[in-house]
Amino acid sequence: MSSGSVDHVIEVNRLTKRYGDVVAVSNLSFTVPPGLVTGFLGPNGAGKSTTMRMILGLNRPTSGTATIDGRPFTARQAGLHHVGALLDAGDVHPGRSARAHLSALAHTNGLPRRRIHEVLEEVGLADAGHRRVGGFSLGMRQRLGIAAALLGDPPVLLFDEPVNGLDPEGVRWVRGLFRRLAAEGRTVLVSSHLMSEMQNTADRLVVVGRGELIAEETVTEFAARGARAHVTVRTPQAALLVPLLAAAGATATPDGADALAVTGLPAAQVGELACRHHIVVHELTTHHASLEEAFMELTAHHAQYSAQETR
Amino acid sequence: MSAPASAPAPASVPAGSPSGAADPRVRRRGLLTAEWTKLWSLRSTRWVLGAGILLLLAGTVQKSWDDYHAWPSYHALERAHFDAMTTAFSNISAILLVVGAGVIGALTIVGEYATGLIRTTFSAVPARHRVVLAKLAVTTAVMLATGVVVSLSTFALSQSILSGRGIAVSVNDPGVPRVLLANALLAPLAALVGMGIGALLRHTAGTVVAVIVLLVVLPMTFKPTVHPWVNDLYMWFPFYDWAHCLSLRRPPAGPALPTVTVSWTAFAAWAVVSAAVTVGVVSRRDV
Repeated sequence: MSSGSVDHVIEVNRLTKRYGDVVAVSNLSFTVPPGLVTGFLGPNGAGKSTTMRMILGLNRPTSGTATIDGRPFTARQAGLHHVGALLDAGDVHPGRSARAHLSALAHTNGLPRRRIHEVLEEVGLADAGHRRVGGFSLGMRQRLGIAAALLGDPPVLLFDEPVNGLDPEGVRWVRGLFRRLAAEGRTVLVSSHLMSEMQNTADRLVVVGRGELIAEETVTEFAARGARAHVTVRTPQAALLVPLLAAAGATATPDGADALAVTGLPAAQVGELACRHHIVVHELTTHHASLEEAFMELTAHHAQYSAQETR
Repeated sequence: MSAPASAPAPASVPAGSPSGAADPRVRRRGLLTAEWTKLWSLRSTRWVLGAGILLLLAGTVQKSWDDYHAWPSYHALERAHFDAMTTAFSNISAILLVVGAGVIGALTIVGEYATGLIRTTFSAVPARHRVVLAKLAVTTAVMLATGVVVSLSTFALSQSILSGRGIAVSVNDPGVPRVLLANALLAPLAALVGMGIGALLRHTAGTVVAVIVLLVVLPMTFKPTVHPWVNDLYMWFPFYDWAHCLSLRRPPAGPALPTVTVSWTAFAAWAVVSAAVTVGVVSRRDV
């Protein structure tokens, strides 16, 4: 009924969590919109898990708020209808079968029994449902955790490091799942400490380091921050090529014994230039700026900044 | 952003989120069923309860046969002090039952924390006190049922053996209903205390040790003394009350000994405080 409260946005507002002297999350604000996969990036210990737990009301913030659909999650009754969460694949009793685990969860939220079968099928555990979770591999537990998150068919989904323990096929599957969930109009927040993972999965990024927000932007914008793209040219006649490149407006720096790192000229033009002057080229490779590089650069600055602040 | 702008795939808007739909409610029945499922889907619960009850019955049979065979050789004083209720349910039986029930109760709480399941549980139902109340209700009910089964079956078994010597008592005899009730209440009481300690400590081994020490080992070391204030302290330990008053058909009276009223009060106080601690602590702490 109330307008603006059904848009499934996660809003984190000046969130802070202190454990004694340790600041896990510091004045963190960001927004997670629906219809996109938002990557929640940061090195281990950056406060990602703590933030997700505060969003779910599991940990109480020292200050600040986190809301979903404009309300704190703890104000909800049937949580599975609103948010599906995979926090840790281990968050299940190893003595129970997968089916019993999901059955207990379904009962609490009044979900029909068929949902248990549907989600087990969806994550590829239909045949393992009767087995005790203690005998599951980490990958299977991740799948069970994802099944539990999907149980209530929620509009908002949180996944904390979901790719850990998955085999390559599982990684591809889970990426497809996230994309599909977002395409269905759901809000999807996926945390990871692996930048490369996000490059293939996320539309937007929320990057944190030491509990503070470093960046909140699209993946493309973020990648543009990284070390600039360059072309590697491997040639025995580097001495001839360097002045030609300089004349064409490019910058070439030695990169090992017989290679040059060229910026300012695309690989195709570097190749044509060499061809016109009969210079032998053994290798010509384009390097895109990776999220990894962008991330390293950003967190390095951030770490330096923090170090100056505290000393 | 308005709602229409955020719906690129209107055909498959998630079922749980129709625009303007009321917040789906969590029903007590569902929470109770969930806790019931959790309790019985663990092999350890079935094993401990099943094996525990068999062990207690075997103990009763053994003790009853011993008394049956020894009765002719008992002196007059031994015969005068003989209590058929102690034959039915001895101190050792009580220790086994209290430890077993206490540990099962503790594990219903600690098991969730130790495995991390608690986070999954509270993500599904953010109103923690409702989950805890359902867990308290289910665990207490199952343990009460267990206690009733144990109390009545050990009674029936022992008296049928003792009746061969004409020394059995019947349910209507004075003091018998009280002893049967006290025996039946040991299990739910121990389970509640186990849950309270489990909620406080959240550590499996520590909780099990604390439950055993607090419920059984410590009260077993207590002996009535000449210091009234020490006796007053002892009276607040349920197992002490059970051993020195509630479990006896004719409890001896004396200023150093707990009365029936005080004993029941201690039982009730530990149950209520344990339940309150469980709800309060679990609702407040980060998980």
